[in-house]
Amino acid sequence: MATAHALSANLQAPLVLRLTAMADDELILGHRNAEWTGHAPLLEEDIALANLAQDEIGHAITWYGLRSAIDGSDPDELVYFRDAPSFLNAWLVELPRGDWAFTMLRQYLFDAYESELLARLAHSSYEPLAQAAVKIGREELFHLRHSSLWLERLAHGTSESRQRLVTALATAWPLLPQLLAPMAGAADLQAAGIWPDPGELREAVIARARAALEGLGLTLMPLSPASGMSDHRGTHAAHLDEILANLQSVARADPEAVQW
Amino acid sequence: VTRWEVFKQDAAGKPHQAVGSVHAADAEHALVTAAHVFARRPSAVSLWVVPADAIYSRTAQELASREAADAGPAAPVAHGSNHDAGTHQQAFHVFRKASHRRSMTFVDHVGTLDASSPAAALARAVTHTPDAAGALAWWVVPVAAVTASAAADAPAWFEPAKDKTYKQQALYGATPAVPSDRVR
Repeated sequence: MATAHALSANLQAPLVLRLTAMADDELILGHRNAEWTGHAPLLEEDIALANLAQDEIGHAITWYGLRSAIDGSDPDELVYFRDAPSFLNAWLVELPRGDWAFTMLRQYLFDAYESELLARLAHSSYEPLAQAAVKIGREELFHLRHSSLWLERLAHGTSESRQRLVTALATAWPLLPQLLAPMAGAADLQAAGIWPDPGELREAVIARARAALEGLGLTLMPLSPASGMSDHRGTHAAHLDEILANLQSVARADPEAVQW
Repeated sequence: VTRWEVFKQDAAGKPHQAVGSVHAADAEHALVTAAHVFARRPSAVSLWVVPADAIYSRTAQELASREAADAGPAAPVAHGSNHDAGTHQQAFHVFRKASHRRSMTFVDHVGTLDASSPAAALARAVTHTPDAAGALAWWVVPVAAVTASAAADAPAWFEPAKDKTYKQQALYGATPAVPSDRVR
């Protein structure tokens, strides 16, 4: 297995940034999904969402771990003691869970993105990343099956379920470009074969989601091209503060604690 | 919402076993839901879902009582004879509960046969299954009523479970409420 030492110095910072964004996306999405525990429309879906939440948080642990191998950072410190402005998650994952249609649509869009990304990362020249992508990618196929299945049923269910999906789409779809926007050092990572070409990935994810959603008879608004600073990760709505207050309060109440 | 019975196969060569039920609007949803609920942890290689109302179920007591058997939705059990000749045959899976000792599963798959009705299938199964007399309950399911997970889905649906072990209580770094030197 390749070590962090195999990574030249100029690539370490961009990869740390990318891994942090990935981990933060999964952590925050996992927490939003976990909020359904006890509230899902069916007991079985309650269990399913808890599983998805655990999986996403498990993926976050993997990405934070890969970062840690590069810069020695402590994942617990990153999760429990960073403030909102230091989080690099996309807006899509921090929005409140909304209704079932929004939750399933958001999950689908994230699953589509992650599946396309992981398929490319499986060929990364940075071996620890390639190995993690293969492992997580396998599980992501099942996530995609679950979220796709729900979109189909919401779209063809009742007029109310379809309307809820249309409403969810109006919120979630325009947020896709930020999720897919390149981050600092993207060209260097791409040149080194570590992270895929963000432009090509963006087109692949959008094409995949567009085919699926238009296939359900949904109308999609045009996406504005990636527009520099407006797509910058690291700005957040108050929603993230709300999640972090919930997530971090116990750890921060007793930062010295070694056991609970 | 329809109730579906879920059958899980733990390993190739092992029988599918009834592990519980899920509620879902259709078979595909039932199957995905069943994977979430019953295959999150090791082990599974295949799942079947069957609408609960497609299952012909008889306990040993019901079989022993002709009245109870006759009260069923399908044709009466034709003990010891085969009246199927010339009638429409279809394939049935037969499952049996063989022991009270198992708490996590109900019936195990024992075989598949052709018959003209669930009751006829059960009658033949009782005749042909070794140790049939010791069975506590039987389920008969038309093969056509089964929706099975695809072999191609196994890597995504079942293999990740191998890395998801139950987290034991002892693994949590919790401070015991009672100091260990006071525990006797």
